[in-house]
Parts: sequence; structure tokens; C-alpha cells
Amino acid sequence: MAARSWAATTPAKLRVLSVALVLLSLAWGALAGWTVSQHSSAASDVVNTEQPLTVAAQQMYQSISDADVTATTTFLSGAEPPLAPLQQYRRDIATAAADLTTLKGAANGNSQLTAAIGKFSASLPLYTSYVAQAQSDNALGYPLTGGSFMQVASEEAHLVLLPAAKTIYSLQDAALTSASDQATSLPPLIVAGVLALITAFVLFRAQRWLSRRTHRVFNYGLLTASAALVISVVWLAATFAVARSDLSQGITYGSRPAGTLAQASIDVQQVRGDQVLNLISRSGDTSFKDNYQQVRAEIGPGPGTLLDTAAASSRGPAVDKITAAKADASSWYTANDQVYNLDLASAYAGETHLVTGSSSPASSGFDRLESDINNAIKDDLSAFRTSASAGANAFGPLEGVLIVASLLMAVACFFGLARRIREYQ
Amino acid sequence: MMAGKNRMPLIAMIAAFLLVLTVACGGASTGGASNGGASNGGARLTVTDKPAGTGPGTLTETGSTLLAPLMSNWAADYHRQVPGVTVNAAATSSGTGIKDASAGTADIGTTDAYLSSGDLVKNTSLLNIPLVISAQQVNYNVPGFNDPGTHINLDGKVLAEIYNGTITKWSDGRIAILNKGVRLPSVPIVPLVRSGNSGDTFLFTSYLSTQYPVWNADIGYGTSVAWPHVPGELSEASNKDMVDTCGRTAGCVAYAGISYLNRAIGNGCGYAALANAAGNPELPSGTTITASVASFVSSTPPNETISMVNGPAPDGYPIVNYEYAVVSTSQRDPAKAKAIRDFLNWAITTGNSMTYLQAVRFEPLPQSVVTLAKAQIARIG
Repeated sequence: MAARSWAATTPAKLRVLSVALVLLSLAWGALAGWTVSQHSSAASDVVNTEQPLTVAAQQMYQSISDADVTATTTFLSGAEPPLAPLQQYRRDIATAAADLTTLKGAANGNSQLTAAIGKFSASLPLYTSYVAQAQSDNALGYPLTGGSFMQVASEEAHLVLLPAAKTIYSLQDAALTSASDQATSLPPLIVAGVLALITAFVLFRAQRWLSRRTHRVFNYGLLTASAALVISVVWLAATFAVARSDLSQGITYGSRPAGTLAQASIDVQQVRGDQVLNLISRSGDTSFKDNYQQVRAEIGPGPGTLLDTAAASSRGPAVDKITAAKADASSWYTANDQVYNLDLASAYAGETHLVTGSSSPASSGFDRLESDINNAIKDDLSAFRTSASAGANAFGPLEGVLIVASLLMAVACFFGLARRIREYQ
Repeated sequence: MMAGKNRMPLIAMIAAFLLVLTVACGGASTGGASNGGASNGGARLTVTDKPAGTGPGTLTETGSTLLAPLMSNWAADYHRQVPGVTVNAAATSSGTGIKDASAGTADIGTTDAYLSSGDLVKNTSLLNIPLVISAQQVNYNVPGFNDPGTHINLDGKVLAEIYNGTITKWSDGRIAILNKGVRLPSVPIVPLVRSGNSGDTFLFTSYLSTQYPVWNADIGYGTSVAWPHVPGELSEASNKDMVDTCGRTAGCVAYAGISYLNRAIGNGCGYAALANAAGNPELPSGTTITASVASFVSSTPPNETISMVNGPAPDGYPIVNYEYAVVSTSQRDPAKAKAIRDFLNWAITTGNSMTYLQAVRFEPLPQSVVTLAKAQIARIG
């Protein structure tokens, strides 16, 4: 009974209010700080961990594709192939092996990724052994046998290595998107916002009650706490808006079109590789031509194709390079059509010249298209890094600011109400 | 004295026997697939133009006409040994065999050459499984030299120069160099070529290309090539037509699968000793064919895709190849899958005995190749 009557007294209400506001202030600081810490960490993860791993996966995928087309094309040079493409093949394999090591170290806990990496790891030495056997047979004067091993090697690349590399890249890209989503996810922010509203509401009601009870218009302590709350909430919201926008732009206009272009590059290499393998195998069937027509329709240009999709989501200098790629692709296709027409007519001497001649449109057109696409990829990845870094850096000192602001709020609330309490002693 | 071995850089040549050949003996066929050496031995054997859709008790095979005589005998005997299974064999062409196996309209396709990577990219479930060793003969009709005990020596360079029109008579000095002490008649040479796409054309032009770089640079190799125009040249649609026409045409030279050798001899044709990569002239016998294949056995990859033309064996016959079965690993019916596995396992073991192979002059697979083939067959499910 006595306790209830004490609780109904003004000093008691002030003490309860003081404790509540101090706790709310500290809770706001802790929750908002934790939220920022989590998002800042995730944003940093996007830029410093997931994105480099995605680039490694993409590079590994492209390296194997390039190795295959380089080895196949070099094989046609004869028993003593030029050194430069041989070195290019070795560089591609070394790059893929290094990327594989990087990705292996980061695959912990993801069973799908581990399985795909295991498959790739087992297949890579097999692939290189077939290529070595093909090169050895060719050098010894048995080009037909060497050619069959070149074909076996290419099958290993197309049926095992490239699908595994594609899976690894897809999973890694999904991890990047997931990390980006986590860095800008709204639920923790909404919870923090609700707590901020509750705190603001309590502060407002407390000041109105004090104003009516004590006939003082302002309680400077609570006013200071309110100001600190408003500033920290606005800062938090603005930071999230900027970070979310930057990271989202980095993914949408950088990483994603780079991935699309990487697929286009791999498809272009497949077209080139098939063209060479067709020259080697001389099977008389249309499977290579059929595959070419199908892959060409996927590369573009044209609505919904890889090049058009990448162009639509790229920004800045990449767009010009994709535009150039579209034009170069169209003229390269004309040369490829000529190649298959010669094949159909069994005009192998002309076909060989068109495919392997360094200045022939089929050969130089491939180099130009590859160059366009790779330059566009570089631009897109650069755009990603710029946007994502800005997004990650946006969090800057916010965590500290929120903690300091919440401490300031707690102290201001305590002292602001302590003066009123003392008036009743 | 044989031509020296040719191992120049052959730009474009390479590889494999490939695949999809619209093969060997052209044309759709019915019973016409049989040749001089083989017989259809079983009442249960059905040779059809088109394989029919079937349950697990009936297997449909379509493809190589070169393999058809042996397949017919296998089918008949297999049914006798396993009465619950009937093999319907359709001699069509290697290209059709691959196409039908890929589309699932035949349980087994057969081909003179392995699948191209283009086929495998289109249909990743396909396997090519060696069934037997085959070879290619070069026939001729040169009066006085057609007796089976007499053989004219030829090499890739001389054959290329015959097929490009440079050498026009059997008495040419370049042929004489390969046949010291033999006086060949001044008979005009009539080259026979295969029309359309043909696995045999692929094998033959591969031999010419590996032995004579000029041919490789000018014409190349393939299931179909742009044959240089040679006056009097004849074009035939099948192995059977090649050896039959050659038997009727004095001065002819022709190429055909080894399973048509008996028919060629029966037609009065001779067959040549061909120079291998070491320059030694070799006849297509069990010993020389096996010797040639032996040099490739240890390096045969698990999918058994390998070209063996003009190999390194100094005592080997230069034009040899595997006859392949093309099968999908993804069968809809487990019982059918088992029936296919059982038949193929039988073919590469019991079916590889000389009882079956001798009549068509094929050779059995080496044991390690059988082991690889069994591993592939086990994947059919």
C-alpha cells in the first residue's frame, strides 16, 4: 500500500522516467551501433572478400575457355607451333590453378561449392595431360593421333571443366549477391527505427508532462537527448540510403554485366574452338555448325542476348565497348559463315587459311571481339569496385557517432531529470 | 623399297576419325549390307530399313555398313544364346547410326569413327565404345597382278598423285620405284572414289594427308573431299559398289573396308601392300593390323577416342581403326539398359572370338581396350 502510494508521487515517477529514458537511450545506441557494425562488416565483405572471389571464379572460368581455344588453335600450326600461343596456354592454366587454390580456401561449409571445386581439381590435370599428349604426338609426326587427343582434351574441357567452373562462378556470384543483400538488408534497420520511434515518443511525452507539471517550457537535458536522437536517426537513414544505393548500383551496373560479358566471352571462345575442332575432325556432320548457330544466337547482338543484356545494365565507358563488340560480332559471324560454307564444299585448304590465317577475318575478328568484351568487363568491374567501395565507406564513423550520441542522450536524460528530482528533496 | 615416312607438319590434319560420318557404305539398305565374307545366320535376325520401337527383349541397332555383316552374325548367335533378346540390325550408315542413337530412335548406333566433340557437346550422354578392330584395303585391277599371292606396293604419296591426276598409268616410274624388279603394264589408272560423306573416304584421305603434305595442303582429309578432277575417275556409293566396279574395270584403284576384302578377291581384284610411317610396305593381315593398334593401346584415353592412321609401328599396317558402338548413358527403361549392357559385353568378349571375326577379317580388341570398354558399358543406365 505504501509502495503504491510512493509510486504515485511525482519524484517516483521522475525516477522511473529517468531510468526508462537512460535505458532506452543506451538500447538505441547498442541496437543502432550493432546494426551499423553488421552492415558495415557485410559491405566490407562484399568489397574485400566476396567480390575478389567472384572475380577469381570468373577468371578461372575464362582462363580454361581461353586455354582450350588457344591449345586447339595452336595445334593447327603444325609440329613446331609458335612459342607465344604456347606460353599463353601455359599462362591460362597457371592462372586457373592459382584461382582454384584461392577458391578452395574460401569454400568451407558450402557443400555444392566444395563438390564443384573437387570436380574441377580432378579434371584439370587430366585435361592438361591430354593436351600434352596431343602436342607430343603432333611433334613426333602423328598429327591425326594428336588431333584425336586434342579432341578428347576439348571434350574434357567442355563436358567437365567448363561446367564445373560455371557452377563455381554461379555459386560465388550468388554469395556476392547475398553479401550485398545482407549489407543493405532492411529488417535490422526497421527494428532500430522502431526503437528510435519509441524513444522519441517517450522523450516527447516526458517533456510535455514535465512542461505541464513543472511549468517550465523546456527541459534542456531531454531537449539535448531529443536533438541527439534526431541527428543520429537522420545520419543512420542517410548512410543506409547511400550505402544501399552504391552497393546496389555496383552489383546491378558492374558485377552483373561483367558476369554476363564473361559468359559472352566464353561463348565466343566456344564458337572459335568449335570452328577449329571442326577443321580437325572433318566429321562431315553439322553438329559444330548447329552448335555455332545456337551459341551465336545466345551471344547476340539482338533482344535478350548476352551482349544486349550486358549493354542494358552497363554504365559509362563499358557501353561504348559493348557497342563495338556488337558490330565486331556481326562481321565475325559473316566470316564464320564463310568458314562453314567452305567446310560444306569440302574446300579444306581455303577453310584452313580462313580459320588459321593471322589476318583472316575469322581469326582477327575473333581477337577483336574478345578484346572488346574483355575491355568492357574491365570497365564494369572497375565500376563495381568504385560503387561498392563508396557504399562500404559510407558507413565510415557512423557506428561511433551512434554510440556517442546514445551516451549523450543517456547522460542528458539523467541530468535533465535529476534536477527535477532534486527539487522534491 | 618403300616411300619414306612422312611426318611433316600437316596443318589441318589431325585428328580423328570422326564421327559422324555418313559413312562407309552409303545408302540405306536392307539385306544388301552383307558382303563376301559374312552370312546372316539366324532366323531371328531381322535386317530392316528402320529400327522399330521396342521393349527390353528387342534391341535396335543401326549404322555402319562395314560392320553390318558381323553385326548380323552377332545378332543371330546372340539370340540363340540368349533367346529372350532379339537384335534388329539395320545397315544404314555411320552418320545415321550416330543420329539415331543420339535421338533415341535406336538403342545402339554403330560407326567407323568416333564421335566428334561437336556431337558430344550436343548430346553429352553419348558414349563411343570400340567393338572390333577394322582396317582399310586398297584394291586394284591390274591384269597380271590380281592374284591373291601377288601384291603391288603403294604409299600415300603415290596414291595421292594417282588421285590428283599426276600419275595416270600403272607403268609410271614413281610406282615402279616402290616395286623394284616388277614391270607393271602401261594400263591407264581409273581411280574410284566414294560419293557423299564416307568414313572410308575419311580414313583414306587421312592416310594420303599424313604421308603427303602436298595433298594435305591442297585437298586435305575428311568424310568428303573436293576430289581433283581426273579423267575417267568413277564415283561409287558404297564399299560393295567400290569392289564390284573395280572388279569390272581394268586399271582401277579403289579403297574399301577390310570386311569387303573377300568380296574384292572374289571379284578378281588385287590388294596393295601399303607403306607405313616407317616406309615399310605391309599387307592388311591380322599380324600387321594388330601390330599397328598395339602401339596405341597404352595411350588410349578412357573414352576410347583415338585415331590410329599411319601409326609408329614399323611392322604395322597403316590404315586401321576401331568400329564403335554409340550408346546413350541415359536409357529410359532399366531393363533395356541392362539388355544393352549385356549384349555389348557379349560382343566385346564372346563376339570378339575369331569364330565371328575371321570371315570379315576384323581383329579382336586388345585386353586393356576391352577393360576400358567394359567401364564405359557399365555407365549405361
